[in-house]
Amino acid sequence: MTITTAGYSLLPVLPELMLAVGAMVLLMIGAFNGPKVTGLVTTLAVCLLVVVGAAEIMLPAGKHVTFGGSFIVDDYARFLKVLAIIASAVTLILSREFLADQSRRIFEYAILVLLSTLGMMVLISAGDLIMLYLGLELMSLALYVVAASNRDNAKSTEAGLKYFVLGALSSGMLLYGASMIYGFTGTVSFAGIAAEAKTGNIGLVFGLVFLLAGLCFKVSAVPFHMWTPDVYEGAPTPVTAFFASAPKVAALAVFTRVTLTAFPGIVVQWQQVVVFVSLASMVLGSFAAIGQTNIKRLMAYSSIGHMGFALVGLAAGTQEGAQGVLVYIAIYVAMTLGTFAIILTMKRNGQPVETIKDFAGLSRTNPIIAFFFAMFLFSLAGVPPLAGFFGKFYVFMAAIKSGLFVLAVVGVLASVVGAFYYLSIVKLMYFDEPVGKLDPMRVELRTVLAVAGLFNVLFFVYPAPLVSAAAFAAKSLF
Amino acid sequence: MIQALVFLPLIGALIAGFIAILGAHGRNPSGDEMDHAHDDHGHGDASAHAHAAHGHDDHGHDDHDDHHHVAEPAALGSRAAELITAGLLVVSAVLSWMTFVDVAFMHHDARIVLLNWINSGDLQLSWTLRVDTLTAVMLVVVTTVSSLVHIYSLGYMEDDPNRPRFMAYLSLFTFMMLMLVTADNLLQLFFGWEGVGLASYLLIGFWFKKPSANAAAIKAFVVNRVGDFGFLLGIFALFMLVGSTDLDTIFASAPGLTGKTINFFGWHADALTLTCLLLFVGAMGKSAQFLLHTWLPDAMEGPTPVSALIHAATMVTAGVFMVARMSPLFELAPNAQAVVMLVGATTAFFAATIGLVQNDIKRIVAYSTCSQLGYMFVALGTGAYSVAMFHLFTHAFFKALLFLGSGSVIYAMHHEQDIRKMGGLWNKIPFTYAMMTIGTLALTGFPFTAGYFSKDAIIEAAYASHTQFAFYGFLMTVVAALLTSFYSWRLVFKTFHGEPHDKKHYDAAHEAPLWMLVPLAVLGIGSFAAGFPFKELFAGHHVGEFFRESLKMNPHIIEEMHHIPGWVPYVPTVMMVLGFLISYLFYVRKPYLPVELANQHPLLYKFLLNKWYFDELYEIIFVRPAKWIGHFLWKKGDGMIIDGLGPDGISARVLNITRGVVKLQTGYLYHYAFAMLIGVAGLITWFIFGLGGQ
Amino acid sequence: MNGILHNYLPLVVFIGIASVIGLALLIAPFLVAYQQPDPEKLSAYECGFNAFDDARMKFDVRFYLVAILFIIFDLEVAFLFPWAVAFGKLGATGFWSMIVFLGVLTIGFAYEWKKGALEWD
Repeated sequence: MTITTAGYSLLPVLPELMLAVGAMVLLMIGAFNGPKVTGLVTTLAVCLLVVVGAAEIMLPAGKHVTFGGSFIVDDYARFLKVLAIIASAVTLILSREFLADQSRRIFEYAILVLLSTLGMMVLISAGDLIMLYLGLELMSLALYVVAASNRDNAKSTEAGLKYFVLGALSSGMLLYGASMIYGFTGTVSFAGIAAEAKTGNIGLVFGLVFLLAGLCFKVSAVPFHMWTPDVYEGAPTPVTAFFASAPKVAALAVFTRVTLTAFPGIVVQWQQVVVFVSLASMVLGSFAAIGQTNIKRLMAYSSIGHMGFALVGLAAGTQEGAQGVLVYIAIYVAMTLGTFAIILTMKRNGQPVETIKDFAGLSRTNPIIAFFFAMFLFSLAGVPPLAGFFGKFYVFMAAIKSGLFVLAVVGVLASVVGAFYYLSIVKLMYFDEPVGKLDPMRVELRTVLAVAGLFNVLFFVYPAPLVSAAAFAAKSLF
Repeated sequence: MIQALVFLPLIGALIAGFIAILGAHGRNPSGDEMDHAHDDHGHGDASAHAHAAHGHDDHGHDDHDDHHHVAEPAALGSRAAELITAGLLVVSAVLSWMTFVDVAFMHHDARIVLLNWINSGDLQLSWTLRVDTLTAVMLVVVTTVSSLVHIYSLGYMEDDPNRPRFMAYLSLFTFMMLMLVTADNLLQLFFGWEGVGLASYLLIGFWFKKPSANAAAIKAFVVNRVGDFGFLLGIFALFMLVGSTDLDTIFASAPGLTGKTINFFGWHADALTLTCLLLFVGAMGKSAQFLLHTWLPDAMEGPTPVSALIHAATMVTAGVFMVARMSPLFELAPNAQAVVMLVGATTAFFAATIGLVQNDIKRIVAYSTCSQLGYMFVALGTGAYSVAMFHLFTHAFFKALLFLGSGSVIYAMHHEQDIRKMGGLWNKIPFTYAMMTIGTLALTGFPFTAGYFSKDAIIEAAYASHTQFAFYGFLMTVVAALLTSFYSWRLVFKTFHGEPHDKKHYDAAHEAPLWMLVPLAVLGIGSFAAGFPFKELFAGHHVGEFFRESLKMNPHIIEEMHHIPGWVPYVPTVMMVLGFLISYLFYVRKPYLPVELANQHPLLYKFLLNKWYFDELYEIIFVRPAKWIGHFLWKKGDGMIIDGLGPDGISARVLNITRGVVKLQTGYLYHYAFAMLIGVAGLITWFIFGLGGQ
Repeated sequence: MNGILHNYLPLVVFIGIASVIGLALLIAPFLVAYQQPDPEKLSAYECGFNAFDDARMKFDVRFYLVAILFIIFDLEVAFLFPWAVAFGKLGATGFWSMIVFLGVLTIGFAYEWKKGALEWD
């Protein structure tokens, strides 16, 4: 296939094109048929994501660059795009129940998720600051709307508005940083910046700090995390699951790519920023989660903490560190989606229940769910031999090899504190009196739970595929 | 045969224990009530301490009634458990007498390897039964007294609901004692040593609902730990010096150790002296010698058969046995021997003085035991190990007799133990009276009783010895003989003669059942028969042939004992008569005299009555500082520092931080935006001021 | 330096003419118009707002919708101008790019039409 326009190969962007066209087709289907096709649109959206993911995998191997270096497809991009697509697809599956309700039959939901995913894919493949901004905005704009998709709910709209305003602020910072970087290097392409930025010129570092601030907002790293708990709590639960998974993948991907490929000359500078936000995120995530009573808020702080752990690997600034980040984010996505499948199940008499107390005695009313949930919690806490342990293992390993001992030690301590609130839920489930039976679990939730749960529990048996794929992906950045 | 005699008691203990567990389960199927019992136990401890601190002279009475309130039915199979254990013990006793004849007279020493135990580098140990004459004597003593006590218990404990447990403990004790005396290496000996300690603890605290019994059991255990610590250090020292804990290896290399030194806290101590002293510390603990004696009188909280078996005849003599067993070492360490002599003589005198004024019938006998153990150590100190063993042998009979007789009196008086409340009992319980008199005669050394031969031999040996403290030993034992005679007769007179002081109990008094009287009779016979027939074997010219390799005697002591001035052998007899006469004067002829005497010398009287204030002294020196340290470490060390800064402190800080962090999350958009700007500004500032290292 | 400033001269001229025309149109009514205020004339005009009122008032969200839709198509036109000016140099790529852009916009337009965003009621 040699599709070119004006000398630019379109092959690398083929999956993105498919996704864009598909999204528009689905939009038309929805627009011309009305809310009654919501289910159909959602199903087709999942199918589309599967096809796009397959196309991404089937692209010719190796590194492809197009649009004059603006768009890069390499192993790294493939790995993360597939991960983001999986996360989006699973989110759509998890959302089926939410969309099935008569009052919430919004077919746009699936299309917004698709467009957001498209933004993520652009973001992951971004090879210069312009493409980065385009991808980021495409992803974010869709997310703002999705956050408020439960229009009649005050909390949901508040979440959407907060996210939008703060997101705009962060975009501003990012743009400001990008313009300063352009000003001091005379180029927007990552490769060009890398060639120019050999010394820690204060103006360049200014730009770097603002750019990273914008990216930190997207991965919800401290101190740019404040939106996370409110939005996670306010947004409908499937949306929260989406927020906690796919956008994190994309944001972390671009974070890693920018720092490692555009600023290899000033590692010392950005490393300090990353170490700081990583430390702050791990510590705050662990401590603040203890005070939560709402499981979604708790998951918000949990994801803040986990982003901190993932950034530990990035702070190492090595290929091993990047591999650690990739392993971590993949495992994190699996754990998060599994956990949200359980949270979505938490319904009594059709009403969702979200407080942590509602998990009391779950082991007696729903032993299987309780078991998987306990496993997820242990895994999130980093208890071996569950998957979460390996994620932490790789990033801490990389940090220690780079001599970041303080970071590793604080990280381990923070995970100890974090273990407290994870384990307190386990205690609640296994040792407290049940508060009542849950509604039966839906088939698609069961499927997601089973897959994620088995991945989580059995990862240690055969970790090689993920670990070696991550190793390949990380290698392509250097 | 030997295996059978050693392990039959264990089998009995297991069977009885099984029955006891079944019985306990039958009574409390859910086990709930057991927990309550434990709770009581815990709370009771505190009050027990209060009791103990105020002296436990005269409160025996009210405590002892406690277990009478227990109206529980005996567990099913109690009688079976009793008969099985007692029967097995009788078989064991018969076997041990056969072994005794086989080993001591036929010279068939035995060494039976049961199985390997530890195989670690230099440390090669196996479970081995070693039977030589020394062991055989102990076997006879232990199994005979034990079987008699088992039989006696059939009667004495008949109204106790927990008889199977009691019998299981008794048999377990016997097994452990047999393991102790048949040990072929020090570690096996230590196993038995600790085993009897455990059994003793369990039996003293048998009535565990009684706070004073619990306190006594704990006290016995703790005081013994002090001795055991020394014993262990001795074993370690020997292992360091010799590279083995095997008795034969140690004895073989002992001569080569003379003159060697050990670095002990920077002090280059003579190796053998130090080792022997450490071993002797162990013996002091087990045999309740001066300074470590305080647990023995309190141990009388246990049932009387226990006192007879463990705290008179067998376990407390384990220290004597151990020193005798290690005689090849002690013979090479004259300084250690001198210390043994000094401690023994002091104990003999000191315990006797306390015995003068005690009022609890069992405590008098207990102090007497303590004193007699002192005699044995005096004999050990002279190097006349066989003489010590002789006294051990005879003492087992008459002291068990005295204890069981006391038990019979107590039984007759409905668990009244205060001799001031007795009196005139001789016509109510004539058989017990006769047996107690025989025991007393033997204890005081009336001519031709068992005690006469062994005690005189000790005093003669002390006189004949040339060690540093020999004369002190002689003097103390002679004075103690006078005191012994006095307090023994005092006990008899106050109990059996004079006016009854407690009319109600007196009227109800009756002779004990046959189960109890038969062992008394057997022991009574023993109190005579254990003396003369064995005199030559233990303290005469046949010692060498009798004990052969099992003891390494001072080569001259026996000979010198026979060449002492003619007046010496008469001294103890004179003392005995003197003591009897004074006692007769005080308690039969002129009963007002002792009261007057006590009033004239209140300080001395108080001093003796309070047992030289040893409990109070230890309370101040050890118990209070230990409690203070414990309290300090608990409250300050653990509570404040470890918990406060550790788990509790950290979790509290974590929650504080959490509260702070949660407060940051105000919900206001502009706060969030502000936080982001602050973050950027902070990072920028960091770099502007060059802190990031350009 | 002068050269650069010289380049901006048309701009200055443009601003000048625009200001003159604007000011003229603003001032002229005051000079020539016949003024006779009456309550009816001063009352709310067209959109239903009072002329002078608190700015933080509730008003119909449909105004937003119209405004945003207007801006989208306004921007479309704004893109079209430079594209049209440079069309000759852009060639086929330029042409098809704009067609795709317009196509996407058309889809959006179709969507908003079908959703009824263009109808006031």
